[in-house]
Amino acid sequence: MFGDYAALIVLLPVIAFVLTLFFGNKLPSGGAHLPIAAIAGSFIISLGTFFEIYPNGSVQQSMQWFSTLNFGILIDPLAVVMLMMVSFVSLLIHIYAVGYMAHDPAKPRYFAETSLFTAAMLAVVLSDNILQFFMAWEIVGLCSYLLIGFWYHKPTAAAAAKKAFLVTRVGDVLFLAGIVLLYVNMTNVITNTGFSLEPGNFILQFKSMFAAIPYIAPTQLTIITLLFFGGAVGKSGQFPLHGWLPDAMEGPTTVSALIHAATMVTAGVYLVARTFPMFVEAPNALLVVAYIGGFTAIFAATMGLVMNDIKRVLAYSTVSQLGYMMLALGTAGMVLGAKAVGISMFHLLSHAFFKALLFLCAGSVIHAVGTNDLREMGGLFGKMKITATTMFIAALALAGFGIPGLHIGTAGFFSKDAIIEGAYEYGYVTGDMIPYVFSILAALLTSIYIFRLWFMAFSGKPRQDRHAHESPPVMTVPLMILAVFALFFGFSQTGFYGYLETNFVLMGVEIGVHEGEAFHPSALILWLPIIVGVLGLVISYLIYNRRIVDMSRIVTRRNPLYQLLLNRYYEPGLSSYVIGEKLTHGTAAMTGEFVDRRIIDGFVIDTVISRTLLSLGDVLKKIQTGVVRNYISVMLLGVGLLIILLRIGGT
Amino acid sequence: MNLLLLAPEILLTSLGLLLVLLGLLVKNKNVIGYISAAGLFAALILLIGIKGQDTFFYEALSVDPLSQIFKIIFVVVSLLAVIASISYFKDNRNQDEYHFLILFATVGMMVVASANDLVALFVGFELASMATYVLAGFEKKNPASLEAALKYFLVGSVSSALMLFGLSLVYGLAGSTNIPVILEVFQADPLMATSSLGVVAMVFLIAGFGFKMALVPFHMWAPDTYEGAPSVVSAMLAAGSKKMGFVAAFKVLVLALVALRMDLQVAFAVLAVITMTYGNIVAISQTSIKRMLAYSSIAQAGYIALAFVVATQLSIAGGILLALGHALMKGGAFIAVALVGYMVLSDNKNARNTDHIDNFAGLAQRAPITAFSLAVFFLALAGIPPSAGFIGKFVLFYSITIEAVSQVSGWLLLIVVIAILNSALSIYYYARVIRYMYVLPANGVKIHEPAPYVIAIVLAVIGTILIGVYPEPFVRMALDAASVLGV
Repeated sequence: MFGDYAALIVLLPVIAFVLTLFFGNKLPSGGAHLPIAAIAGSFIISLGTFFEIYPNGSVQQSMQWFSTLNFGILIDPLAVVMLMMVSFVSLLIHIYAVGYMAHDPAKPRYFAETSLFTAAMLAVVLSDNILQFFMAWEIVGLCSYLLIGFWYHKPTAAAAAKKAFLVTRVGDVLFLAGIVLLYVNMTNVITNTGFSLEPGNFILQFKSMFAAIPYIAPTQLTIITLLFFGGAVGKSGQFPLHGWLPDAMEGPTTVSALIHAATMVTAGVYLVARTFPMFVEAPNALLVVAYIGGFTAIFAATMGLVMNDIKRVLAYSTVSQLGYMMLALGTAGMVLGAKAVGISMFHLLSHAFFKALLFLCAGSVIHAVGTNDLREMGGLFGKMKITATTMFIAALALAGFGIPGLHIGTAGFFSKDAIIEGAYEYGYVTGDMIPYVFSILAALLTSIYIFRLWFMAFSGKPRQDRHAHESPPVMTVPLMILAVFALFFGFSQTGFYGYLETNFVLMGVEIGVHEGEAFHPSALILWLPIIVGVLGLVISYLIYNRRIVDMSRIVTRRNPLYQLLLNRYYEPGLSSYVIGEKLTHGTAAMTGEFVDRRIIDGFVIDTVISRTLLSLGDVLKKIQTGVVRNYISVMLLGVGLLIILLRIGGT
Repeated sequence: MNLLLLAPEILLTSLGLLLVLLGLLVKNKNVIGYISAAGLFAALILLIGIKGQDTFFYEALSVDPLSQIFKIIFVVVSLLAVIASISYFKDNRNQDEYHFLILFATVGMMVVASANDLVALFVGFELASMATYVLAGFEKKNPASLEAALKYFLVGSVSSALMLFGLSLVYGLAGSTNIPVILEVFQADPLMATSSLGVVAMVFLIAGFGFKMALVPFHMWAPDTYEGAPSVVSAMLAAGSKKMGFVAAFKVLVLALVALRMDLQVAFAVLAVITMTYGNIVAISQTSIKRMLAYSSIAQAGYIALAFVVATQLSIAGGILLALGHALMKGGAFIAVALVGYMVLSDNKNARNTDHIDNFAGLAQRAPITAFSLAVFFLALAGIPPSAGFIGKFVLFYSITIEAVSQVSGWLLLIVVIAILNSALSIYYYARVIRYMYVLPANGVKIHEPAPYVIAIVLAVIGTILIGVYPEPFVRMALDAASVLGV
């Protein structure tokens, strides 16, 4: 019953978007209630659909769009867990935003845009074909641009929005190229081999794509999947297109929580998961996924160590965690097959909960003290007990605290350790331990930077005299709900893996598992993640709370390592200045100056087109004398002309 | 003979008569607009709901997919115009006559769409023309409106005479006025194609229909009339009555092509290219938006006329699609201009030239829904996806490209290139208005946009975008309609 109304999951927020945009300023609290109600509706339908299709059903609806393309809905296990997460987190963040954005004059615009974003994100999730996926993906990108630049009067925000838009565009172009290449291959396969679409199926539907995999040449498949991954790299802020995500923190904190932590940035991971059967058949692409993911995980974590902006720390943490998800798809995909999707998605979901929580806590702190700078905070624990406690829970979850033997722990413990174990198993089977080393080192850094953040913000003495206060209940209640999830979501692990493993079987895709001897990691491997986690906590406690090391001696201009990290490996300079300004803009400006200004504008447009056309227009206007006699004469002239034309044409 | 299939025409005719009668009885004539809109809406439901194919009255009328899609266009356009007229002619004491005329004009156009006989075609044509002559001059205290009506009437009479002459020549050649019978007679005698009489007959018909289609050089009445007539009537003329010329041309000229195997390719290619280029170039230098829309309408007629150049099923379908899209876009645009006129007049009662481009400055702040809709219509007219304008142009240009490739014909390809360049050129004058609306500062306060206008405009926007986003059923309808012609 709910499945029949699956289209409403997207349509409700779209309607809310239109209404809020046009009538928001006439409604109480900037029209916030409409999107909240709509997204609550989406959540209820998603939840209902889940119970309907559990344990092994799916919802498939499709209608022809034109020629061989279609619009359709596919809700399988993979999609339904995403749907529930996106609508639920979005709902909580919308509620929280009522408080957070209470004093902003542009509330209708804010709620309209977040509502549109939610609709687009949900549309990404339930697309049943790659083209529709891409269209929704682009709207998601547009909303991200609009929301990063929400305070467009701030030059940094405007610049960040532009950067995000341009950098993700690089990925999007690759993705689109992948779709085009896929389409070409599909049509080739249909005309040249025995493969044919099942009746009622369309060419770019996921199930048709998967069915055609055996017919597509392996090199083509590798290129297609790599291009898809290019899109994912842009959207999910993976190296080397990660630079936009920390800058995106210029938007409101709620936006960072919703878009740049819990949902949009995970779309890239979701894309790889969605098309996973193709990746599995292209091991080289999978290897690239693993390495990029692993490298990003550690690379971003190093920068998280030194950032002083509370949101930037979290942004690098997000990049790093997204790296983990990619790593899981890449490494576990090679040794565990379809289970990799479960492992990665599980971390995606638990990350969504605790990272949204971290951001909302950060928002609560920023709301209270009025600054993003960690150095100006401190001693807030006494004043903001709820925020401090929930944020500590989130930090524990991010650092992956738990007890391996007893299966007790936070959400992050279950999800992240599974990834690290997967990486180890990959290393054990193939002898390539590098991804594992990346993942374990990143775990240590994660623990250090997140507790550094917590201690700097909440412990010690206040470093600035500010009148901080706890946030209103409309903000703290979502925090507490998310904290419950950050603590207990992990216990659904076994059921979750089992459920997602059926996902591609439903579509008739068999993903082979590399059967080997039963794999039992040693106790050290099981305990190592938690050991490095505790180690990180202790290090941060000693340095930032006990202050046994005088950080001001290390953190100086003279320390080149610190400079390198603080300047983010000079990536902004490299991408903005060298690539952006010199290479792209410089070349474009030069060719533009010459070709466009001189030749096109100067000669073609100005002289030929503009002047000729305008003067021609003026001349022709004079024919229109306004005298009916002339009109009729022209008509009769036309009759004569036509007779001549017909005689010429006819003979 | 299943008379139910003619229910929309019967409904509208009786409603028209009823409204005149009602006008004598009721005090508050504003109610008449609502009845008229309700009647048109019911007719639209009947048109879409009742399925079937039949001929009537000794095969004078035929109900088939071709007639139905054009009837839907006519009824939709009239419906939009009537809804907007509820505001436009509010408190006018001649409303009953106005709605009577609109309904009869619609019936006339529907008869043309259904005509299976030259006499029925001519009668329908005249019924619609007579009604619209009066409608154009409906603001009888406004000299511009009167001038518009008179010019329209004079040029229209001459073209009616030409058309009638052409029809009588066809009758003289074939000995029948029934179109299928003429087809048979012509096909039986291959010599017809080379007879000068046949050529002359066709030329007169092209001239007669070309007047309604506003093809250059039969277009000259159009800018003056569209500018002077009440905006809602201009909407009806540009969006509806113009399509009557096309459906008549589809019926008669395609017949000539198929049966006489007459080579109209060159003639129509020249007409189409001149028409679109002329329309777009002159539109650039207009300051009156209604005039600009008139020239853009001429340019659109040029695109649609491309359908005759290759006259394949796909190209006719493209022409029909573009006609359908143009009805919505142009109808909506004229109604939006009517709203701007209302806005300007509410600022200053004695304002003249209410459609001057300066009045559109900052419209996005003064009337946001109208400005947004107008921007949608303009972008759609320029052929930007996803819109009805894009789909129509795409199918049409695509069909000609296919034909150019299969005939290995360079000049057909050249025509496509010219058409696309024309589309690009047209963006200039559309974008200029959008710039006025969104970039320039407003010279007045925000106004309340009257509901009837807004409903009509928003309906047109929804239609325009719907066809662009989900073209499949419309393309299929157009292909079905084109198949009736047997090309």
